[in-house]
Order: sequence, then C-alpha cells, then structure tokens
Amino acid sequence: MGAGFHMTVGPRLEEVARVNAAFAEFSEAQAVPLEVRRSMLVVLDELLANIISYGLATDGGGEAAIEVVLGAESLTVTLSDNAAAFDPFARAAPDTTLSVEERPIGGLGIHLVRHMVDEVSYQRSGDRNVTVLVKRLVANTSNGSTGEE
Amino acid sequence: MEVTTRSHGDVTIAAIAGSLDSMTSPAAQKTLDALVAQGAKKVAVDCAALDYISSAGLRVLLGLAKQLGAKGGALRTFGLNQTVREVFEISGFSTIFKVFPGESEALDGF
Repeated sequence: MGAGFHMTVGPRLEEVARVNAAFAEFSEAQAVPLEVRRSMLVVLDELLANIISYGLATDGGGEAAIEVVLGAESLTVTLSDNAAAFDPFARAAPDTTLSVEERPIGGLGIHLVRHMVDEVSYQRSGDRNVTVLVKRLVANTSNGSTGEE
Repeated sequence: MEVTTRSHGDVTIAAIAGSLDSMTSPAAQKTLDALVAQGAKKVAVDCAALDYISSAGLRVLLGLAKQLGAKGGALRTFGLNQTVREVFEISGFSTIFKVFPGESEALDGF
C-alpha cells in the first residue's frame, strides 16, 4: 500500500513554499528517511522554481501538478505542467571544475536534480510536460558511514 | 530560514538555520550583503542548522565568496549535514569553499 498526495499550483513563486511545506509534512508523517526527504526538497525547489518562473503562463491559465507516491522501496514524485514543451534534462551539464572567479552564476539546478535522485525522466504527454523523479528509500550502494545507527 | 551572526576575533560567524532555497535566498543574501557592507572580510558560515540548500542558496554563498575575495577576505563553511555536503560535492562547490567539520577547525588559522 502506498501513501501519497496530490496538489496543483498556479504561476506564483510563493507556491514553491506551499509545496515544500506539504511535502515536508507528508514525509515526516510517513517517516521518510531524512536524507531522502531533504534531497527531494532540493529537487522540488529546483524544478518548481523553474517551471513557475519561466514556464507557466501568467495570464491565469498556467498550472502545475505535483503527485507524490511513497512505495515500499522508493519515493516517486511526478511533476506536470501545461506550459510550452520544455525538457529540463536536454541541456548540457555545467562545468563544475571552474574556479570561483570563472564560474557563471546559476545553471546548476538541473545538474543537482540529476544527481540528487536515482531516476529522472521527461516526456511531453499531450499538452503537458511530465517529469518523473524516483528516489530509493535505501541507497543500494554503500558510500561509507551514511547510516544513522 | 534565519541567519544569526556572532564574532570571533576578526572572523564573523554566520549561522544559517532552516533551508536556503528559491524562497529564502533573497532574505539570506540581504543579511550577508549587509555583513560585507559592515566590513566583514572573513566569514565562517555555520551550516549545523541548515536543513538543505538548492542552487538558489549556492548562488548566495558564491556571491558572498566573490565579494569577500575581492576585499582580500575569504569564506569558510562548517557543520554540513549529508544532504548539504552532497549538494556541495555535486555542484563542485566543495572545491570552491573550504569545508570544515566543526567550528573550531573552521576558525583554526583563519
């Protein structure tokens, strides 16, 4: 049995805070591991701020939907919106080896999204952009002392 | 999100609590800009109560590091949780900012 929730937001940046609050409340109630919760909050902030700032029409019709499903082994978040077709993962990764002076401000958000969750996918479905994010509840590769025992 | 500051010699310690994301970063930037305007050159950012950081927050820290660097100062960070550390590593920021385990290590030789 999976728990979950669904909500829709309009083209206002304040909506990101509303989604974050709902997600934090849900994941706390469901005892989603802290690192999974935090990683997904980073990802939600990146993608929602992008969709709301650059994608959604501001003339009243812009709308994005967030669906969260918690399974036994993973947390799946599906974001969809009715903005123009835009694949957030189509752009090249930024050069993260540049020095502080050389580095252009910004451009890191999608790079973070790719690496903070285990699976990302995008598809244009009808008149909607649909992005699916999957984060495993337990890391399947050990990277040292990440346990909280 | 809340930023509280304290001084240790000529080092300003800025403790950021909560999240540094697209909603909270403008306020954090304002506070940190004010520190620089007041003459801070060495700033140690205390991340012990920082829940998570997104690229909007990284931008604020990068902007602060650039301002401090231009004045001959520097930025250090300490007390990162696993998620914040991961974001620093993925973005390459762990090579830009000096990251220390705790406050005493961050202040040592600063």
